This record gives sequence, structure tokens and C-alpha cells, in this order.
Amino acid sequence: MALTTLTTHKTPSGFLLPSIHSAPPFFTQQPNPVSQSAVTDHWINLILAYARYRRLFILRVEDAETAGSEWDEILRNERIRHRMPPSHLSTILAAMVQRNVAAYESPKQTRSALVYWRLPEEWADVLHRWAADTGQLNTILTFYDITDPPLESPLSGIPVLLLKKAISILSKSGKAQTISIADGEGVRFFAGGR
Amino acid sequence: MALQRYASVVDGTIPIQALLYTDEQLLASQEGVGIYDGLQKSPSHQAGIIHTTSHRLFYVDNKDPEYASFTLDLAYVSQTEYYAGLFTSSPKITLYLTGRGLNATVTSTSGALAIPGPASDPNGGTWECEVCGNKNRNPPGHSPSSTQVCELCGVPRPTTSTSRISPSHHLSSSLPSSSIHQPNPITPSTSPPTTGRQSSTACPACTFLNHPSLRECEICGTKLHPTLSVPEQRTKSAPATRPTSPDLDDDDDDDPVIGSERKLMKVSFRKGGDKPFYTVLKRSLKSKAWEVPTQIYKPSTISSQESETNATNRSGISGILRTVETSAQGRDDDLKNALQDLEALMIKARDMVRLAGELNEKLTSAASSSTPTPTPTPPTSSHSPSPSPSLSNPTTPSSSSVALSTSTNPSSLHELPEEATFIRSSLSQLGLQMTNVPVTNDMIKDEDKWISELAKELSTVLKGMMRDRGIVALDEVWGGWNRARGVALLPPSTFLQVIPHLPHHTSPPIHKRTFKSGLTVLHTPPYTPNAFSSRLISHLITEGPKTTMEVAIIEGITVALAKEMIDDAEVRGDVVRSDVEAVMIDDDGRGLGLGLGVGEAGVRWWPNLFAGYIWDGHVFSEEL
Repeated sequence: MALTTLTTHKTPSGFLLPSIHSAPPFFTQQPNPVSQSAVTDHWINLILAYARYRRLFILRVEDAETAGSEWDEILRNERIRHRMPPSHLSTILAAMVQRNVAAYESPKQTRSALVYWRLPEEWADVLHRWAADTGQLNTILTFYDITDPPLESPLSGIPVLLLKKAISILSKSGKAQTISIADGEGVRFFAGGR
Repeated sequence: MALQRYASVVDGTIPIQALLYTDEQLLASQEGVGIYDGLQKSPSHQAGIIHTTSHRLFYVDNKDPEYASFTLDLAYVSQTEYYAGLFTSSPKITLYLTGRGLNATVTSTSGALAIPGPASDPNGGTWECEVCGNKNRNPPGHSPSSTQVCELCGVPRPTTSTSRISPSHHLSSSLPSSSIHQPNPITPSTSPPTTGRQSSTACPACTFLNHPSLRECEICGTKLHPTLSVPEQRTKSAPATRPTSPDLDDDDDDDPVIGSERKLMKVSFRKGGDKPFYTVLKRSLKSKAWEVPTQIYKPSTISSQESETNATNRSGISGILRTVETSAQGRDDDLKNALQDLEALMIKARDMVRLAGELNEKLTSAASSSTPTPTPTPPTSSHSPSPSPSLSNPTTPSSSSVALSTSTNPSSLHELPEEATFIRSSLSQLGLQMTNVPVTNDMIKDEDKWISELAKELSTVLKGMMRDRGIVALDEVWGGWNRARGVALLPPSTFLQVIPHLPHHTSPPIHKRTFKSGLTVLHTPPYTPNAFSSRLISHLITEGPKTTMEVAIIEGITVALAKEMIDDAEVRGDVVRSDVEAVMIDDDGRGLGLGLGVGEAGVRWWPNLFAGYIWDGHVFSEEL
């Protein structure tokens, strides 16, 4: 068989997969460090793009082990019958953590990570702008108010862990303050000295 | 009875091994046997052990070993019969005995056996040499047949079938005393003439077989024994002429009934073991260890061991085995000798090499001392690479260099270098290349030439080896080259030295290439990393991904070699791999149907798609 020209592919969810995703070597961990770094680069791009597209925050090694996860569209390619081996995904996760585009969910394990398709600093900006735009400055908000607002926001569904990181960044510059309230923690945003 | 007549008492309390002659071997033993003397059971020999040796049968009684045990010479046994046993009757071996027996002249009414004393064997194993008259005696512990050569003059005992049981002994010496009791029918006058049986007469001195009618030996002139044709002299001590066959005695018994009874004996095996014992006994009877070869004349005294060897050599399986053994022994010895020679040669060769080295060293030092103060300029001129005319002579490459190094001193040039050159060139012609000699300037020049000559030779070898393949492993080349040389084989170190010179002598140039694993090959230009990679990539692009095996087939090289080369291409980033691990396997195992191997064999090679790839996936139009 002649080498088929690789083409892009649109997933059912509407995401445009890159052409490289239909090349089997893309799924294999390359022993050559140069080749592997190229593979890793492209995978990180793909993962971040897909996470952003689907608003996915957590990537686990388990997602590569069994079918049926929300990452299936990129971790598996039914058309060429290839999938991401878990060991390869684990390597890529490590590379992402190292490049600070992801962080392990808890520091003592390497099986699941928060995917920073926005960096915590960017999230902090988004958060503050949202609070300002919705007129909730100087108001005490629970985390639930932020992660699950009645009105869809860019912050809908954000993991609490990531939210806390963003708040802590804001509080460093005096734009937010965490407050202990009856049912857990709350936060109050300030206009801040822009 | 048979036992009285043929058997003699032994002390059964003595271990059987101690009773044997030195040239006698114990072959088999069986316990739980009884003896029939004639047709009747012998009451005193009903439970005991029977042993068979190469010469005799021993019966050791259980109840009364000291007095009821006996021994029987196998020489008496003319025939055996085997009876397998039936119901309560035990298996038996019947021995038919012939000859006069030990105690034929002793009449005894008691059931006890005759005790063999000096009287029963009057000869006592002695015989008189025909030539010198020396009375020879068997050494103690040897079987009667072991000494067959006169101790004094070395002439063999002059009987054709010498054995102690020959009735002639009894006739000649013991008869006069014993004839009182039992007159012997064979008297010298009545014995039938036997001259017809003898076709030739052996000379007592030189053993040449003369015509019977001759009186003197044809060869040495010794007077032949006249007994052959003169019957009355046969009674004298001339055993060769006597009827040795016991058959003559068979019909001399007074009573045929008693005679037949006397002449058989049965061994009843009450506890089995009859069959193996019988086999051994038959073999022992067949090999006739008690007979000795009289036809083989040995100038020196035959040792008992030798005589036995000769005796056993003659017949049966044991004879064949013996022959095989001796020939194997001989081969072994020859081989050992040959190897010893080789070892000696090796040691000598080492000495030679060392000597050559020392010689060369001395010559070098002498040459340098003979040129005490060379001016600084001449040596540089001698170092110049321009070859002197003599350097073109390949047989004496050292002569030129010596001449070069000593050219600064014209006075010594004609004396010492002459010899030095001669010795060195002869050393090199002998193939004694010096390796441990300090390498001097001239030596290096020599070696360069040598190496380049070798490179030329190797290039011709390679032309054959690489005729239809462009790549060949280094070990194969080395082996092939040395095989082609046949002599003066080259060590790998020299081989490695030669390789860098190869491209100058080969077209297309052949280069060395070492892979990651350490495998080193020689290859033609199409197998340089660049050439191979580009060829491989174009293959992969036009024909799709390939496994290592497929590449090996396309390239016509071994799989291991293909793997090395592809691995190299991978390291260079020319190809990337796709593992089986990444292939989806359905529940019904359909993924395996692609004919994929496992591990390395399942890897498919792709051109490097990642280098220069530009993202063509999802692009977010607006920044959130």
C-alpha cells in the first residue's frame, strides 16, 4: 500500500483533528529524542486545543486505558485502529507538567493532572473580569456561586482546585480575599488598583 | 568316580581370589549349587558355591569348606550339556570329562576325594628343555601353562598342545609306580604309530618346519629329533610326538559303565543363576586359556601376562575385543606422540621468535652505535617519504630502511648492514614478524609497506566476497581472508590496521562502519548511512510502512543487519516507528489479524512525519 496522504478529520463534536492524528507513529513513543519531542509537542498542542474546545479540565492516564472517556476523540483513532498507549500518555503528562501547561491533581501521584489550557494567571484575570462584569465586586461569593453560576460563564465547571489557585493569585495582588463562611469557604473580590 | 578322578581338594576357607593362578581370572560365581558325581548326587557336595575361572571350576562347600571343596581343571571338560529343569528338578549343567585325570591311578574306595600332593602331580610343573637340558619350573602361583619358554636358552617348550593334563606325563614318569594298582593299557609298544599325523618337524633350535624325512635342519643344520620316525624312541621325553588327543584314552577304561559314569559330573543349580553361569562357562571353555601358543616364538621369556594375552587373542568375542582394544591403544599412543611433536614444535617456534626479536634488537642497537653522532640534517632527509630505489623491492623491505638509517655513516654501511640486512630479510621471509620489538623509524616504514600490501591482498579477497552484496560483517571478512591465506594467518589487530587502507585499493571504495551495538561491517557506497536512509525513506513513501523483516527482504540483507541500519536511521531521525502496542485490539481480537508480530518484530517503520509538520488541526478563531 502506498503511503496514504494524511488528512485532517472533523470529529462528531465538531473538533478538527490535525492530519498527524491519522499517522500511526504519532501514537508510539519514539526512542529518538528529537522525534519524540516533536511528537510530544504535537500531542500537547492537541490535548490543550481539545480541552479548550470541550472545556475539559482533568486528564487521567485511565482515559487511555479504557474506551468511553471524554478524551476518546483524540486518544483513540478508530479509522487507523490506533490508540494512545497509557505509558505514552503518562510520558506526555509528565512533559506537560514540566512545561507548566498542566499540574498533577495532587502532588503525590502522576496518574491525573489538571490541564492548563489557560494558565492559572489567565484564569485569575478571567475570574476578576467576570466578577467585575457581573457586578459582584465586594460581595461574598461561595465557590459554588462561581463554578455553577445561574448564568453560563467562562468559569462554569472550573475545578475548585484551579479556582483556588486563581483566587490565591488574585489575593496576592489584593484583588480578592478568602473568607471562612458557614458552609465552607467564600471569596470577596475587590476592584483592585489597576 | 568322576570327582575322585578329575577333581582335587582345595581348602575352601581360603578366599577364592587367593586360590587363583596369577594369570587366571575369576569369571562368575553362583551359590546354592549341588554336585552330581556321575549320575548320583554326591552326598558331601550338596550345598555350596561354584566359581568359574578362565582355567578352572571351583566348588566351595558351605558345610565343610575345608575338606569338601574341590577344583576341577576346565581342560578336562570335553563337552557340556544344559538342562533347563522341570517342575521340582533344578536346572543342571552336565560336564563330560575326558582325559586320564589327576587321580586316575589312585584307587580309592572312600567317597572322599584324593588329596592332591606332590605324588599326584609328579612333574610338579617342571619340564626339561630339549636344547639345553635345563629343568624349567613353573613359577609359583602361575598356571601350569604359563611358562612355555626355556628360562635358560629361550627355546619354546616343544609340544604342540602342552597342558599338564596330557596323559604322557603320567605315562612317562608316574606310570611305573602306579601301574601296580591299575595297569595301563597304553604301553609304548602298543601305542599306535602316529607318524602320519606329523607332516613336518620343527627344528628345536630355529623352529623351522623341516620335512619329516630330513635328519638335519635345512636352515641351521641342527640335528633334528629323530623320534618322529623311530617309534621306540617315542617313549622318551619327546612330548611333541606323543598322541596328545585324549580320545585315545577314552576307550581304555576297563568297564564301560563305570567309564561313562566316571566321565560325567553335573552341577545342579538349586537357586537359579544357571543360565548366565552356563554362558560364562561356555565362553571360558571356548577361549581355552590353559592352552598356550607354541607357534609363536618369542626370543625373550614370555611373561605370564603376555602368554595369556596371546591365548585369549586367538578366538571368540574376547579375542576380537582384545584386538580392538590393542589397536585403539596403539592409535592413542601414536596420537599422543604426534601431539607431543607439535607441542615441541610450538615451543621451538616461540624460541625462534624470541631469538629473532633479540637478534633484531641487537642489530638495531649495533646499527645505531655504529652511527654515533649523526648530524641533525641527514636524519630528516632519511625520514623524508621519497622512496629510495631499493624500497621498491618488496622481499627485502628492511634492507632499504637499514640502509636509510645508516646512510649517514658510509664506513659502517658496508660491513654491519650487510649481515643485518641478510638476517632481517631472512627473518621476515620466515614469516617471523616482530611485534614486541621497539618500533623504530625504519620499522614503521616497513610496516606501512606491509600493511598496504595486505590491504591490496584484502581488496582482491573482498572482490570475491562482496560480489553480490554490498555489506559484509567484519568477522566474516576476517575469517574469509585467513581462510584464503591458508598460512601465516593474521591476527585481528593487524586486520583492523589494514582496514583504513582499504578505500585506496578498492573501487568502489569499501569503508568500515560500526553500528550502535558494536557490530562492524565493511560496505560499499550504497550502504553509507545517508545513502541507505534516503533509499529507505523513498521505499517507505512509495510502498508504505514496512517492518524490519520486509526491509531486510527488499535490501537482500540479514534481518539483524537491517535492524542495525534502520536503528541507525532512526537515531538520525530519518524514520519513526509505530508500535504494536498502539494498535487497538477489539474484543474479538480483530486487531491481531493484521499479521503483526510482537515486540521489535511488530514495529513498522514510517518516514519521519513529525519533522517540519505544521499544525493543521482546530484553530480557535477568537480569544476568550
